Amino acid sequence: MTTTFASKRHVVADLAQAMDLCYERGWTDGLPVVPPTEPAVGRMLDAVGLEPDAQLAFITNRQVAVTAEKVAINAVMAGCLPEYMPVVVAAVEAIADPRWGYHGPATSTGGAGPLLIVNGPIARRLEMNCEDNLFGPGWRSNATIGRAIRLVMRNVIGTLPGLLDRGTLGHPGKYTYVIAENEAESPWIPLHVQRGCQPGESAVTVLAAEAPRQWYNQLSSTPEGVLRTVCDDMRHHNSTNGQPQYVLVLAGEHMRTIANGGWSKADIQKFVFENTQNSVAHIKRMERLAGAVTPQDETTMRPLLAQADDVLVVAAGGRAGAFSSYIPGWAGGRRSSQAVTKVIQDRRA
Amino acid sequence: MAPIEILDPTVEPRHQPLTYVPRPDSLKGKRVGLVENTKFNSDRLLHRIGELLINEYGAAECKMWRKHNASVPAHAEIIEEAKRSVDVIVAGIGD
Repeated sequence: MTTTFASKRHVVADLAQAMDLCYERGWTDGLPVVPPTEPAVGRMLDAVGLEPDAQLAFITNRQVAVTAEKVAINAVMAGCLPEYMPVVVAAVEAIADPRWGYHGPATSTGGAGPLLIVNGPIARRLEMNCEDNLFGPGWRSNATIGRAIRLVMRNVIGTLPGLLDRGTLGHPGKYTYVIAENEAESPWIPLHVQRGCQPGESAVTVLAAEAPRQWYNQLSSTPEGVLRTVCDDMRHHNSTNGQPQYVLVLAGEHMRTIANGGWSKADIQKFVFENTQNSVAHIKRMERLAGAVTPQDETTMRPLLAQADDVLVVAAGGRAGAFSSYIPGWAGGRRSSQAVTKVIQDRRA
Repeated sequence: MAPIEILDPTVEPRHQPLTYVPRPDSLKGKRVGLVENTKFNSDRLLHRIGELLINEYGAAECKMWRKHNASVPAHAEIIEEAKRSVDVIVAGIGD
């Protein structure tokens, strides 16, 4: 592999200086990185069966080609193990997909970050967290795969805060934002299968997303009762005038309550679609829409979502606790950005 | 301890680096394009800016285009027409 890498090389005296150099050059997300030595980068590429110059993505608005070599370098820096590379590669392909619309979510004042939802056998093989402390720290695969994507966005695609990343607030998920679905305990069809993949396949679904919003319902023992609470929250949240898609993460207690009521994911999606509508009058009174309130506005309903499929239902989170979360996507329509699901391939012969 | 060699994680341009066009020294006689992003009041804001550029800075004329929505880049027709017909562009948000 020695002669095949195209990247510029930097020689430093020791490990500490290598880490300092990465800071000085602006290559980190603020946390220390693992220095990307040639053998480590080579192991990343071997694990995914890609040549260094293989082009994984092309970001049209930036006119940037993303090669396997650069992705591998940034994955090393993020702390990934080589076996994580297939997930990283699939996620890079997803953010470069025109449906994801890289320029918008990466740059916007809206401050979205790529949320990765991993399904299939690879999630279990890589010990990806899908249970307690779902969005929290402590799992190497969750933490470093998302971090690798952020470093690729920063170092390869030029998504630098204050320059081409103009998020007004951003959110902590912009460091890393990766979950797996708890397929072992879920009573429902896995997300990737619902989105067209085969049951035995592994896949990653990437949504440009705001931070997760936690909600609570300890009282209800019916699907309607539990979901009415989150619908009320979603209906009133003031994230522009609604996002094109939402992820609904149902943790253990809510998952069991809803499943015990005999509801499928499609039933949940339909209920959320129908119960998150606002009157135009309400939206105007809340200063989210310009103009005076007319009598007709009181009875004209505006749905939060264009269709029920725009709620991505995921079974994940701890078994105990009457909490779940929903996650708004980004921007005002599917034309701007939508969730993309990519099969995670094993390219090794 | 042996020195460490690390690989650069950033992209080196393969062909031609992308750079911004230099800003003009003056707007006198320049044709100004305004790209409106559909947000509430963004058209009014840009109209006002256009007037100021003509009346106070001597710009020759202004013309406005409207994007599909605020969250997408200016579409190809805007870019092609702007390349042909204006010297500078102002893009703005209305909120």
